[in-house]
Amino acid sequence: MNDDRRTDARLAERIRSGDSEALGELYDRYAATALATAMRVVSARDEAEDVVHDAFVAVWRKIDRFDADRGSLRAWLMTVVRNRAIDRVRARRPNMDLEVADERSLLRTGLNPTWEAALGRTAASDVQAAMADLPDEQRQAVELAYFEGYTYREVAELTGVAPGTANGRLRLALAKLRDALSGSTAAPLGSSESMFSEDTRR
Amino acid sequence: MNCTTVNELAAAYALGAIEADEERRVVEHLSTCDQQHSDVRSMIEAATLVPAALEPVAPSPALRGRLMATIAQTPQEHAAPAASPARQSREPQPMRSAEPRRPWWQLAPLPSALAAVALAAAVGIGAWNVSLNQQLGDRDAALRAVASADAIYPAQGSAGSGLVIESGEQAMFMTEDLLDLPADQLYELWLIDGDNAPVAVGTLSDTDGVALVTLERDLGSATTFAITVESERVDAPTSEPVLVASLGT
Repeated sequence: MNDDRRTDARLAERIRSGDSEALGELYDRYAATALATAMRVVSARDEAEDVVHDAFVAVWRKIDRFDADRGSLRAWLMTVVRNRAIDRVRARRPNMDLEVADERSLLRTGLNPTWEAALGRTAASDVQAAMADLPDEQRQAVELAYFEGYTYREVAELTGVAPGTANGRLRLALAKLRDALSGSTAAPLGSSESMFSEDTRR
Repeated sequence: MNCTTVNELAAAYALGAIEADEERRVVEHLSTCDQQHSDVRSMIEAATLVPAALEPVAPSPALRGRLMATIAQTPQEHAAPAASPARQSREPQPMRSAEPRRPWWQLAPLPSALAAVALAAAVGIGAWNVSLNQQLGDRDAALRAVASADAIYPAQGSAGSGLVIESGEQAMFMTEDLLDLPADQLYELWLIDGDNAPVAVGTLSDTDGVALVTLERDLGSATTFAITVESERVDAPTSEPVLVASLGT
C-alpha cells in the first residue's frame, strides 16, 4: 500500500469512528481537486462549492460502506463529486438516483495501489498533454461523457455516430490516456471502434 | 449480459456513462463472474485520469467551516441506527434544485430529503446543546429558549441550519450558523399551513453568533417553517427557501 493510500485508509478509519477532524484533513487533501471537477461540470463557483460540500457530507455519512482494502478513497470521493455535479445539471440525467449512483460508484474505486501512487504523482499538465494528443472525436466523447454527464448512447446521438462507435471512442481514449501516462500496464485493449457485440450495437 | 459485452462497455462504465439499466447489469455480472475482467479494472483506473487533467481550484475559505458545521450535525449512517430511513433518501439539498412547477410552499408532500434533514438535525441537537451550554453571555437567551421548549423542530437547508422552538404560545427561531448575507439582503421567515400562502413572521439580518428571533405569531396549525432570502421584507416570498423545517413531526 503506497503512502497516499495508507494515509487515506487511516483517514477513512478515523472518519468511520466519527472523527470530524479527519474529514477536515480529507477535505484539505482533496477539496481543490474536487472543486475543479465540480466547476468543470456546473461552471458557477457557488454551485460548485455546494457540490463539494455535499460530496464531503456524503462521504461522512456513508463512510461505513467504503472498504479501504478494496478501493481508493480519492477515487470514491471524486465519483461522488461528479455524481452530485451531474445531478445539479440533472436535466441531462433525469433518471439519476444519487443513492444508487453513490452505491455503484463504490464499485468503481478498486484502483491498483501502484496506479494510485502514480496518479498521485501525475501533474495535471501531463494529463492535459495526453488529453490534447487524443484525436478530437475521442477527446470530445470523453468530455461529453465525464463532464457533461451524457451516456455513450447520448454521446452517439450528439455526435451523429452509432452507439458502438461512441463507445469505441471512449475505449480508445481511455486506453491511450492510460498508455500515455503509465507506459501501459493494462491488459490488451480493443483497437477498433467497431469491436462491439449485438448487445451494445443497438 | 456476458463477459464480452461487459468488457466492451468497460470504458463507458468506468466513466459513469452508461444507462442505469446497463450499469445494473454490468454490476450484476461483475459481482458474480469468475473472470478477472482486467479490461474493466484497466478502464476504471484510466478514468481517474480524466478529472486529474484539471488544475486544482482552491475553495473559498468559508467552505471548510460550512462543511465542518454541517458535519457536526450530521449523523453517520452506521452510527445512527435510528436514522436508518435516511439511507433511502438523499442528503440535504437546497430545495431550489427541485425546480418545482408550483410555488414551493404548495409542494406536497414535502420532498423526502427533508425527512432525512430533519432526522439528521434532530440527532445533532444534543451535541449542539452541549456546545451551547459551554458558552454563556449572549447565548443565555438561546439556552433559556431551548430549556423551556415544548417542542423543537430542526431546520436545515443551503443557508445552514437552525431550530424552530415552540414554547407555550410563543415560537422562536434560533440559529448559530446561517450564512452571512450581503448588506442589501435579509432572511425572511415564513409559516405555511398546508397549501395556503406563506405568512411572513419575521426577518433576520444579523447572523453573527447565535441569533434568536421571536416569530410574530405562534405556530398554530402551520405545517412548515421556511426562510427565504429577500431584498426587503415582502408579503409573499420571491425566491426558493434556503432553510426549511417540517413542523409537527
